[in-house]
Amino acid sequence: MTEGGVQYSKIAEIKGPLVIVDDVENAAFDELVEIETREGERRLGKVLEVGNGKAIVQVFEGTTGLSISGTNAKFVGKVMEMPVSKEVLGRVFDGLGRPKDGLPDPIADKFIDINGEPMNPEQREYPKDFIQTGVSVIDGMITLVRGQKLPIFSGSGMSHNLLAAQIARQASVVGTQDDFAVVFAAIGVQYSEAEYFRRSLEESGALKRSVLFLNLADDPAIERIITPRVALTVAEYLAFDLGMHVLVILTDMTNYAEALREISAAREEVPGRKGYPGYLYTDLSTIYERAGKLNGKKGSVTQVPILSMPSDDITHPIPDLTGYITEGQIVLGRDLFRQGVYPPVNILMSLSRLMKDGIGEGSTRADHGEISNQNYDAYSRAQEVRALAGIVGKAGLTEIDLKYMDVGDVFEKEFLSQATDENRTIDETLSILWKVVSKLPKNELTKVKDKFVEQYYQEK
Amino acid sequence: MAAQGRIVWVSGPAVKADGMSAAKMYETVVVGNSKLVGEVIRLTGDVAFIQVYESTSGLKPGEPVVGTGNPLSVLLGPGIIGQLYDGIQRPLRELSKASGSFIGRGITTTPVDMTKKYHFVPTVKNGDVVHPGNVIGTVQETDLIEHSIMVPPDHPGGVVSNIVSEGDYDLETEIAKTEKDGKSITLKMYHKWPVRKPRPYKDRYDPTVPLLTGQRVIDTFFPIAKGGTGSIPGAFGTGKTVTLHQIAKWADSQVVVYIGCGERGNEMTEVLVEFPHLKDPRSGKPLMDRTVLVANTSNMPVAAREASIYTGVTIAEYYRDMGKDVVLVADSTSRWAEALREMSGRLEEMPAEEGYPSYLASRLAEFYERAGRVRAMGSPDRDGSVTLVGAVSPSGGDFTEPVTTHTMRFIKTFWALDAKLAYSRHYPSINWMNSYSGYLADISKWWGENINGDWLSLRSEAYGVLQREDTLKEIVRLLGPEALPDEEKLILEVARMIKIGLLQQNSFDDVDTYCSPEKQYKLLKLLVDFYRKGQQALKEGAELSDIRAMGVIGSMLKARMEVKDDEMAKLEQLDKDMQEQFKAITGVKVSN
Amino acid sequence: MESSSALETTIDKILDQTQKNILSSINLALTDAQKTLDNAIPRLEQEYDKIISDGKKEADKIQKQIVGSSDLEARNKHLLALEKAVENVFTKALEQIANAQRNGDYANLIKSLLEKSTNILGTTQVIVYTNSKDKDLVKSTLSQFSGAELSAETIDCLGGVIVKSKDGAMTFDNTIDARIERLKPLIRKEIASKFGVGN
Repeated sequence: MTEGGVQYSKIAEIKGPLVIVDDVENAAFDELVEIETREGERRLGKVLEVGNGKAIVQVFEGTTGLSISGTNAKFVGKVMEMPVSKEVLGRVFDGLGRPKDGLPDPIADKFIDINGEPMNPEQREYPKDFIQTGVSVIDGMITLVRGQKLPIFSGSGMSHNLLAAQIARQASVVGTQDDFAVVFAAIGVQYSEAEYFRRSLEESGALKRSVLFLNLADDPAIERIITPRVALTVAEYLAFDLGMHVLVILTDMTNYAEALREISAAREEVPGRKGYPGYLYTDLSTIYERAGKLNGKKGSVTQVPILSMPSDDITHPIPDLTGYITEGQIVLGRDLFRQGVYPPVNILMSLSRLMKDGIGEGSTRADHGEISNQNYDAYSRAQEVRALAGIVGKAGLTEIDLKYMDVGDVFEKEFLSQATDENRTIDETLSILWKVVSKLPKNELTKVKDKFVEQYYQEK
Repeated sequence: MAAQGRIVWVSGPAVKADGMSAAKMYETVVVGNSKLVGEVIRLTGDVAFIQVYESTSGLKPGEPVVGTGNPLSVLLGPGIIGQLYDGIQRPLRELSKASGSFIGRGITTTPVDMTKKYHFVPTVKNGDVVHPGNVIGTVQETDLIEHSIMVPPDHPGGVVSNIVSEGDYDLETEIAKTEKDGKSITLKMYHKWPVRKPRPYKDRYDPTVPLLTGQRVIDTFFPIAKGGTGSIPGAFGTGKTVTLHQIAKWADSQVVVYIGCGERGNEMTEVLVEFPHLKDPRSGKPLMDRTVLVANTSNMPVAAREASIYTGVTIAEYYRDMGKDVVLVADSTSRWAEALREMSGRLEEMPAEEGYPSYLASRLAEFYERAGRVRAMGSPDRDGSVTLVGAVSPSGGDFTEPVTTHTMRFIKTFWALDAKLAYSRHYPSINWMNSYSGYLADISKWWGENINGDWLSLRSEAYGVLQREDTLKEIVRLLGPEALPDEEKLILEVARMIKIGLLQQNSFDDVDTYCSPEKQYKLLKLLVDFYRKGQQALKEGAELSDIRAMGVIGSMLKARMEVKDDEMAKLEQLDKDMQEQFKAITGVKVSN
Repeated sequence: MESSSALETTIDKILDQTQKNILSSINLALTDAQKTLDNAIPRLEQEYDKIISDGKKEADKIQKQIVGSSDLEARNKHLLALEKAVENVFTKALEQIANAQRNGDYANLIKSLLEKSTNILGTTQVIVYTNSKDKDLVKSTLSQFSGAELSAETIDCLGGVIVKSKDGAMTFDNTIDARIERLKPLIRKEIASKFGVGN
């Protein structure tokens, strides 16, 4: 795709975010397009379909104000690329990767196709390095490892941003500082949310090791298709070219999926569930799968995408398909949030698939897996007992049931609850987990080996 | 004459080319200047509709399309075991040599190393008459796999000549010739076979031998037979992949084909990292020596995902034809169905339910029909099997969606994963009320002959307890547990013990991850005996609280982790302890 | 007197009692106060410590923030300075090109620009636009392209041509300005590396 740059002026149709150009002789699938309005304003787009003299172009900045006559489409002769260099650290870009901080374009070390290429599974290194976030519920029960993709499933108004910012701040403290970077992509979120994040990075001194991409709520919706991709392109560069450990926060992926739905609807495609395109799964995977570690490369890309579940419904296509791709999920619970618990993590619905390899002897502690299982078990039982108590009253409960009630309370008050600037060590975290289940008699601890019970059980 | 056309239209993985009147349906074609691999999936006039197995980014109308004259095929011969392939049998290790950590495009490689020498031992001699499927020699492919070199099924047969003597040869060496009707055909150690065409066999049998997976809830409660079909549907987070990995690790088959179809990249990496270190419990050899991986992860081109299932099952059939038991695990058939849906959408076909094409059901049926226990073609007699296990990823965990409902029509074992069980960390989260196995009766004979004749009745009794518990739970939910009489409280107690001590299994625990059939039987018997003795004790006036307080319960529940397969005496001891303790509590009552 | 004395005694007693009461309650209050104070001291100390440690934390935070921000600011100033330098070089280079001799090399350049443009558009049925400086040169070259016409209208550019199909559907901008614009990122990198920056 070296020959490019022809400008076409026969616009056949404009609908939704799409411009259909006629008499196109020389255009490639996925090619970058510059749309010039009658007034000389320039917008970017890309080719979704080309053939039989027609090209369907998706315009990132929207088609508002475009007219059939006077609009030109220039096919640039390359796919969309992001200029990258070490200088992108500490910079702020818009949702298409253009500077938003009044500074010039980064002087590029390389130009990289923002779509990336799939990592060869044979070349991946299986993620197993424990990341201490200092947040007990994550370190103890939903352990994050380098190269993992672990989303936060939240709902409107809940404290996902506080949690993500805390993870970004505290995870950066451990290990060799210089190797760490944060890439933050705001996808259709409010200014205040993005600003909270920026300030939080600034206050922890991490801003100079961060790259921010901002597509805010009032920025063009279709641009959101690009934002996570430019962010991940930079993250991959920092990780695999410069050897950094990169934490990527993408918020809010629900806005991304909605932009995708808008394009699909404009193309009149047969919709899958809830009007989202049938290829939503595949499309999301081309974002989420850009996390990982590679053989023979020093860095890693760890993703914490945030998505708000419409009406807190985890079976909604966006969280549902995300959960099938990501390596677990951190689910925030409305009930806990209402009770003022922070972080309001519903551990029963949460999971880290890569936890088993990141914990245990040599990385955290030998009893970690089992004590965490026991807590899951006990807390789940506590929830059942609570439900039962709601019907038959506390009087109808057995003695052991009452102990499980206790477990539930201690778990939420002492283990789960934590201040936003409280950074707990893994030993502190595990010790609280033992404290919780020590409310139970020893013979209830069926998930831990006897030797660990001997060692850690806290007698009254 | 190979077709030579020109691209006229590109949209994602779908390409139209004109000038293709010479092309055949399902012919492999080379697309564009960067020589991408594609397959013809519709012909209209001289326009071919092509699905492209690689990213079409940058592809332009006007670029050439060239036919290869061959349908999409796999290469079958020694060297397949231990490989990690993409959906169209390109070895990912070789791809990385060409394009590094990320998968580039337009790279051509051979599926196996054509220059590697294998020690060939001929089993026929010049002048012998061979037929399609006949074994003409063997090579040791890995420590675990003796690989039969067979006359291809589509070969006319004939009289053997020029057979090489025992020795080391590479794949391109002509190891024999056949003569028939004045025509001479050269045989090598490999041949090609089109993936969409099932490999023929001589005869087909009913599956009567269980495929032992070492997973108690599967082997004891919802078994699958060698040559059978099973499906494992579950919402995300229900432990589908872990369960499938467990089957791939511990199933007592000779070959395992694991297809990662539209799933996570790290899961394939996990298999790659883990399997070479895991030992087959029967032979003690690394599991990788019997495993083939086909990986088309979710972010790899969607058309190749569609092909990956066929690539995998054709390889499975090939090893079946050598007389081996093969297990094929496909994770996930839903992603394969989505690939079908996407291509169908681009073809602008009339959609059926949820946008899936109307031929979804027939494609699923065709796939599962490739399972079976068969007598292979040719001599000597070889019996082999292909067991198919397909994961389903129902959207929103809803089992009424098209892929799940259609799949249920074509499989006989159904392992329903349950999010609620997973949330309470009951793994494997196979729901015992919604799952079923159509092979129980067929395989009970095997258990009778190899383990114990009362297996089926013990299993029924234990299952009965679980069913009773399920109905009792409703009452407890409304009235609390105290509303039940002691016998029923005991049922709840025993059901809990069955769940913790038998159904649950920790795949990350060194001991618990695999459970031998003997141990499964003994644990089952121990629990059923406990139930019987408990009911008896209650009748004799023992207190339920005394039963609940029995020290042996804790040990019974941990036995799955604490007792190794070669320590069956410990279970005998537990049995004795249990008897003693029952005696003690009924004894106390009598002396009162 | 007696009575008054008795009264007085009573009053004295009462007074005494009251005094005692008052004293005792004062004593009590004192001990209470002491106790409270005693209790309060460690708490105060704790609070003091907390204030100090919070202050320290805050100071740490502010220090980190200041160090981080000023590092960043310095870096950004550097970027701006560099950009200015790059722009200077750029402007100079463009001036040179604009004032370049329209000699034989340049005629060849125009020819190749026209060839490339018509190739990409797939036709020679085009209208060609150029600046007033290059007008004659372009006109003489155009004779080799059948159907190609020079527009009477001139454009503002450094040099080179804009080629438009006669139906107006396609345009190819092959001015030197456009070509430089396309190459600008690479040129910037080149210049920056001359300043010893970049990779």
